[in-house]
Amino acid sequence: MKKLLIVTLLLFSSISLFAQDVLVEAESFDNPGGWLVDPQFVEQMGSPYLNAHGMGKPVKNASTKVNFNKSGSYHIWVRTMNWVPGEWEAPGKFQLKVNEAVLDTVLGTRSGWGWQYAGETKINKKNETHIELVDLTGFNGRCDAVYFSTNKTTPPSSPKKLAAWRQELAAEPNAPEELKTYDLVVVGGGLAGCAAAIAGAEQGLKVALIHDRPVLGGNASEEIRVHTEGIYGNFERILKKIDTKHYPNGSAESKLDQQKRDENVKSYDNIDLFLNWRAYDAISEENSVKYVDARQTFTGERKRFTATYFVDSTGDGWIGFWAGAEFSYGRESVDTYGEYWEEHGELWSPKEADNAVMGSSVLWGSKDTDSPQSFPEVPWAMPVSKDYAEVNGEWQWEFSRNDLSQIDDAEEIRDHMLRAIYGSFSNAKKDEVNKNRKLEWVSYLVGKRESRRLVGDHIFTFNDAKEGRKFPDGVVIEKRAVDVHYQTVLEDEKNPDFISEALFYRGPQYYIPYRSLYSKNISNLFMAGRNFSCSHAGLGGPRVMLTTGQMGAAVGYAASLCKKYEVMPREIYTGYLQEYLDLIEEQKYEKIPTSKK
Amino acid sequence: MRRLALGILLLLTHLCEAQFGSAVAFPNSSKKTVLDKSPEFFVLNWKQGTILNRSETPMEIIVDSVGAQKVNIFRDNSDAPVLYSSNIITPVCADGDCRLMHITLYWTLLGDYAGFDRSSEEPLTKHDHDEFLFSDYWKLHELLKDHNSILKRRAIDELVTKPKPSTIEGVDALSGATIKEVKESVVSGALYSCYVAWHLVHGDIKDQIKAFTVAQQTEQMWIRMLNSEHTNYQMYALENLTKNQYDTNFSRISTLFKSGIPLVRSYIIKNLADSFSKEPNKMQPFWDALPYIDINTRSLLLQHIDTASEATVTSISGQLSVLTKNQIRDFLSHLENETKISSEILKNLRAFADSSKEKNSYLVVQFLEDNS
Repeated sequence: MKKLLIVTLLLFSSISLFAQDVLVEAESFDNPGGWLVDPQFVEQMGSPYLNAHGMGKPVKNASTKVNFNKSGSYHIWVRTMNWVPGEWEAPGKFQLKVNEAVLDTVLGTRSGWGWQYAGETKINKKNETHIELVDLTGFNGRCDAVYFSTNKTTPPSSPKKLAAWRQELAAEPNAPEELKTYDLVVVGGGLAGCAAAIAGAEQGLKVALIHDRPVLGGNASEEIRVHTEGIYGNFERILKKIDTKHYPNGSAESKLDQQKRDENVKSYDNIDLFLNWRAYDAISEENSVKYVDARQTFTGERKRFTATYFVDSTGDGWIGFWAGAEFSYGRESVDTYGEYWEEHGELWSPKEADNAVMGSSVLWGSKDTDSPQSFPEVPWAMPVSKDYAEVNGEWQWEFSRNDLSQIDDAEEIRDHMLRAIYGSFSNAKKDEVNKNRKLEWVSYLVGKRESRRLVGDHIFTFNDAKEGRKFPDGVVIEKRAVDVHYQTVLEDEKNPDFISEALFYRGPQYYIPYRSLYSKNISNLFMAGRNFSCSHAGLGGPRVMLTTGQMGAAVGYAASLCKKYEVMPREIYTGYLQEYLDLIEEQKYEKIPTSKK
Repeated sequence: MRRLALGILLLLTHLCEAQFGSAVAFPNSSKKTVLDKSPEFFVLNWKQGTILNRSETPMEIIVDSVGAQKVNIFRDNSDAPVLYSSNIITPVCADGDCRLMHITLYWTLLGDYAGFDRSSEEPLTKHDHDEFLFSDYWKLHELLKDHNSILKRRAIDELVTKPKPSTIEGVDALSGATIKEVKESVVSGALYSCYVAWHLVHGDIKDQIKAFTVAQQTEQMWIRMLNSEHTNYQMYALENLTKNQYDTNFSRISTLFKSGIPLVRSYIIKNLADSFSKEPNKMQPFWDALPYIDINTRSLLLQHIDTASEATVTSISGQLSVLTKNQIRDFLSHLENETKISSEILKNLRAFADSSKEKNSYLVVQFLEDNS
């Protein structure tokens, strides 16, 4: 299967009769070497890609072998981009090695994702052709695919045409061949998704948990390293299986909790865990999700997941978006829900609605060593970092800007943070006191706080939190202060634009109703996580991970009752609320799940 | 040469002051009923020749074990309110050791921190009884200016707890943000004094002061605020002015659009949304400011491109370098909807597309391909 998708040969019959074409997807290389598979921006740039995330030291070559059906002279293009075009050497440069020859062309130097011509080479079909990516900088060179053709016609760059071209080349049928059927499909394996899967599974549901990373936990994972904040509410027993200690954000201690979390989720026989699978489509009919399609991020293999109920815990609300669920993005006007807070005025809730949201963080850290450590010059980072100098990054390292969507422009946001980090560290290294300091770890994943919010029967607002409003279906409980971030550059343009500040509103304990956890217009869709039904200011408190974990557990239990009575999520509120609340109460205590007896 | 010598002398004086304090004896403001010069640490502009007269208000700050401390108001010669002030004596206790802190605090008309005066007889001291240096007072001033300081959301005992060190992989430098943030913002050895002072300044009295001002606000007060360099005054005025008053003060508002902080700019543009379609010519100063304003405000401004004059659109087509990727996209999609693109705009677009230095030139290349 893998082979089919990695290397595809096609005879184009129309334009170039007898031309031979081979497309090699970089993420499917046999050995990625030191390159990392980066699937974060698939929806925007079309594919996972390989990222040379060496933090300034060139990474080991990625390599693969390709069989050609026809010998001859082939033109080669590489789909890549210069992620910081400007008056400096491109930061992410690399070369292509075909068999023993390294092609002269330096790649990663074109602006915007597209095909860069790498050169021409002779291919002998009798021998396996070895391809390697040779990183030159360690500064996030990126390679999406390598294309060989006997015909010198550049493949299309525009996203739409490229997708059609890829589809044609791969000759994939529209529907994935393999169909998997479950009671509950949970998409997104952050805290909310994990808790939903566990809760559903404990009640006997057959659950699929689809997650696009190799490890679970999302922002809490060892890949992003944000500690879990908030309280356990009604779900302490479950959340303790997947939470983190309160170490500093960015700490390598996240690895210990990673192990605990992964083992606990895997211990449930009735959770089928699909790690490194990224959902790419969801189809609804008559306002009900019918299936979710997902693709393995390395091999390109596809599966279709059908279920009676779905949980969107993707963070960005992708399942809801594809299925046609109502959603919102940005800040509502102050009058929409009356979320005025005099102390912070316009900074808290604007007179007119806008696209401002809390930003994304990229955490990082360095360590002192016993010997001098060098770090390359990074002129391409300086326009962002300016003279800011730092050796570690905490939660305040956060970036948002109203012209950038936290979904569609996430790659630019991540790259902006990388420039801030490398530039600030480079500045710090100029201080003698940091001569032995080594850049230890920089995440390459965006840790998002806010993006698309799906609309439920109730929209949770700042006022619900501020007044501690009680709901008959208040299944999630939180007492953490409402905490909304803004970029400090809004108040003082001398500040770096990648540092944020928190506005805390300390109020009473508050409750999130179950009605905020299922879609208003897609009947079988739950949501848990930052994409639950809330306003921008309403998200300020519950966006932290123990609270979102509570949401996950709450919808997992609701789904089990839905199955029991063959009803949709809304009907749990209208017809089975007491039984639902009793079930939540009862589950607090440890018992042996049926699946483990 | 003489200028250089003077410069060096001034610099040395400044540096010495930072370490050892002002050579000039600082005032004992607690007894002052007239202010004829700025408080020593002050956030507002002080116009030379200003004389303010003190009068009492019914407001008080209650301090534990000391009692009520009066809050006074200072008015100018026309009886307009300008500043609030209180001479504070409050105990500061650390580890069972209590001392009295003397300080004169000032608030703006909106209850924000405005500044303070030291006491000549009772200077502030640190934990080990050393007196504050001038640089320590300056740091206290910086702390008090931060209305959103970490001191706001943490109890005092939370600020002195050290985080557990990391145990694996030797990442040693990720010390707790809290402690680091506190260390950076408070005077070393004077956490308790800083904490007490910050909570006095930013406590309940803020709201009382603002309410007291609101009860006597006038159009003249708003206009003075609009013309102030103080951001919160500008915002308050902008929030309160009527549409007619916006018109009357248009000149100042258009100046603020260029010189204000991003928050002020965005507020202005949101408030003037109607004017863009109804009075496009009047809005020209805003379009002229395009290259000088922050990205967020520029995005808000570009939302009005459909009502801009042809000259403005042409002018923007020659300034694509200052626009972000998505702003260029928005601008191009505006052009796409136009029935005809002028030759001058096309010329500008081609020049941008041909530039090897423009990272977003590819967008214009694609646009020209699609629209040629």
